[in-house]
Amino acid sequence: MMEGSPATSLITTGNESLPAELETRTAQRFRKVPGPGLWLPLLAGMLFLAMWELQLFHRLFDLKKYQLPLPSAIYEALRDNFSLLLSYTGYTLAEAVLGMLIGSASGFVVALAATAWPRWGGGSLTLVAALNAVPIVALAPIMNLWFGDGIGSRAAIVTATTMAAMAINACKGMSAVDPLALDLMHSYAAGKKEVFRYLRIQNSLPYVFTALKINTTASMIGAIVGEFFFSSRGLGYLLSNSIKVAKMPLGWSCIVLAAVAGVLFYLIVERLEKVFIRWHSSRRA
Amino acid sequence: MSLLTAGMPEIQLDNVEMRYRTEAADVLALHQVTLNIAKGEFVSLLGPSGCGKTTLLRLMADLLTPTGGNVTVAGKSAKEARLARKYGIVFQSPVLYDWRKVKHNITLPLEMMGVKKSVREEKALELLELVGLQGFADKYPWQLSGGMQQRVAIARALSMEPEILLMDEPFSALDEFTRERLNEELLSVWSKVRSTIVFVTHSIPESIFLSDRVFVLSPHPGRLSAVVDIPLPRPRTSGMRNSQQFYDLVSRIRGSFEGV
Repeated sequence: MMEGSPATSLITTGNESLPAELETRTAQRFRKVPGPGLWLPLLAGMLFLAMWELQLFHRLFDLKKYQLPLPSAIYEALRDNFSLLLSYTGYTLAEAVLGMLIGSASGFVVALAATAWPRWGGGSLTLVAALNAVPIVALAPIMNLWFGDGIGSRAAIVTATTMAAMAINACKGMSAVDPLALDLMHSYAAGKKEVFRYLRIQNSLPYVFTALKINTTASMIGAIVGEFFFSSRGLGYLLSNSIKVAKMPLGWSCIVLAAVAGVLFYLIVERLEKVFIRWHSSRRA
Repeated sequence: MSLLTAGMPEIQLDNVEMRYRTEAADVLALHQVTLNIAKGEFVSLLGPSGCGKTTLLRLMADLLTPTGGNVTVAGKSAKEARLARKYGIVFQSPVLYDWRKVKHNITLPLEMMGVKKSVREEKALELLELVGLQGFADKYPWQLSGGMQQRVAIARALSMEPEILLMDEPFSALDEFTRERLNEELLSVWSKVRSTIVFVTHSIPESIFLSDRVFVLSPHPGRLSAVVDIPLPRPRTSGMRNSQQFYDLVSRIRGSFEGV
């Protein structure tokens, strides 16, 4: 999950000529010319699209065009319904982000409790894991009953599906603390609260961001699948309806937009991670 | 310097016993250790692995509770002394907090005590100069070498101006050259702060070079087997490591180990 526990400080070398070493590291970081790392995947993607458009996959897997619409048809559907698709993407993304924030925040609180009072807090972790195991098919009607068919019910579904990843990861980060770092806290006569404030919470940050990254994709799934059932808006609603009435290109354009939104959401969280845990070992060039 | 210099010892261990009970066995880590350390004294706890020297230090720090006997630190019980923040501690690894810049690592204890920010910043710069790390205040720990990180750890331990400095093999993970230089630097720091230092090590030359007195511990069970006065004059210089007196002390201490 993580590359090494974040609290263990590295004893690198005994020599003190490090500043020079640092400069080379920095130089390496700025010498980023778009190399094969960028254009190779780009080329592969274009090749893939071209093969798709030339119906190579259709021949290979014996598919009809209504079963797998061509990229050009998907693009047309996207262009023709652009404003509707855009507003639906915004709607679904709002559900996902809102639910993910609430779910991750409550997961973090559960982790705090589970670490502070392991005796009964451990039980709350199990409870959250159980909640996570409830399928969305079962959650959707219940949440619809509780929160109506608006944005709230999907946000609630997403909350339920993102809480566990955060609770479990954050709890790991708060308890996987260097024992000597804890001793140090004791030597300062620190109480439980201070140990959290100065040590455990910071120590959990890399784990927290791992959970947030997992939750970006989980939240998109939760929101879209949640919309299959009682919604009258959103990408999931449009997707399931388009497929029902065999408007395959429109359905596929929903999939494309969901993917784009999911990737954007992920990239934003990844960017935040870079800002917040600049100190972490994974940032060491 | 000896017991004569102070009326009340700074650290006093009276018949201390430490027993670890595990399912498999009952291990006697320390057996009837009685010792006094005077205020301002530099002493080493020397011995091979398993002799209980780290355990002894952790008892003084109240990070362990003895199963028998009494530990008195600065006139209080070990626990009261810890709660009154009477000592600073340095471990074998630097244990710097990765998310804090060097200066914020150093002032961590002050921050927890509620010392004002301006005072803290000033103190950090002063301590960085003391340990020879000017210009590194805004670096993160990973940007420093092992030796530099350990110096930061020493500065952090000194930031609350403790009466006592407890050091648990602080230089044992470093190479010989860095270690010898840090030994000299530690003595120069000590000559300025004049706190009582208890220094755990398994290196005979290191214990001699640094200390006023060396407590020699032997294993199975861990016990105090000798106390050796080090009459080398201060300030100590690296040249003393090659003196006849130094060699004599090395062989005397080597001879004092029992059952190793």
